[in-house]
Amino acid sequence: MKNPILLLLITVFVSSVSFAQTAEKYGNKLTLKEKTPISTLFKNPEKYIGKIVQVEGIIVNVCEKRGCWIEISSDKEFEKIRFKVEDGVIVFPMDVKGKNIIAEGVFAELVLTKEELIEQGKHHAKEHGTLFNPNSITKGKSEYTLRGLGANVN
Amino acid sequence: MRWRRLTHVLHRDIGYIAAGLTIIYAFSGIAINHIQDWNPIYKIEKSTVVLDSIPSNLTKDEVVHYVLNSVGETRVVKNTYRASPNELEIFVDGNTILVDYNTREVHQEKFYTRFLLKKFMDLHLNKPKGIWTYLADLFAISLLFLAISGLFMIKGKNGIKGRGAWLTLAGILIPVIFWLFYYL
Repeated sequence: MKNPILLLLITVFVSSVSFAQTAEKYGNKLTLKEKTPISTLFKNPEKYIGKIVQVEGIIVNVCEKRGCWIEISSDKEFEKIRFKVEDGVIVFPMDVKGKNIIAEGVFAELVLTKEELIEQGKHHAKEHGTLFNPNSITKGKSEYTLRGLGANVN
Repeated sequence: MRWRRLTHVLHRDIGYIAAGLTIIYAFSGIAINHIQDWNPIYKIEKSTVVLDSIPSNLTKDEVVHYVLNSVGETRVVKNTYRASPNELEIFVDGNTILVDYNTREVHQEKFYTRFLLKKFMDLHLNKPKGIWTYLADLFAISLLFLAISGLFMIKGKNGIKGRGAWLTLAGILIPVIFWLFYYL
């Protein structure tokens, strides 16, 4: 290569492309050194409520309209956790679905009344075009979520 | 008066510069207003097929291969996830395939990006961050200037001392009435 400027430009371009392929970063930079298995959070929630934790998994669901939440699969089968981010601060595109994620957020307990669960069920059914029977909800429940701070997706 | 001439010129030129962004923000604003009823960013197609059978002696990878073959999906598999003992989700680029072992139903959810509207929305919601934040601020300040200078563009009975005053007052009262109605 005779032209050093052209060589430099190609190098910058190639390195930026390869960087983009390694990880997409969302929100704050990850700070924790250690990951907590999602199953451990569910097993002993009191220990982690209000604390920042780092988790790892597969993105199995994404908020279709606003990209304001994702669901991350647990290390344990049939388990997942919702990673909720502030509207507009972090926006997850649909194509992150199925990708691997390392994410940091505050582990929180969300107490939902029966009425709130029914409202949530109706909303979900409307959005996904599925059926929902309000009688299937008999009482309120607690849900554990992560209030998202930052994530690396690849 | 010289200041009136200057305001006129600035109003005209800033108006021209702001026109493109105003159109972008208008389209994306309408889209955001109706986001509960219509997805402005993605077109999502859902479909379901019932397979004749799902052989029970297959490994997970073989089931994935079998199902993808059955629905004609040729794209590379990103990952799989078992949502429940009788469900398997297969993720490929632009498609999520949910297999229900009990009913032999295969639900597909394909999505396509509405390219232009997505770009408009990204700008409206300040997804690029960085320098775009300051450009959007500049645009907002421009709108502020256009609004204020616009009040004084016309002289006479149709200007701010006549009809213009009543119409401006009406424009201010509309959000105030709605605010009183919803929050008091």
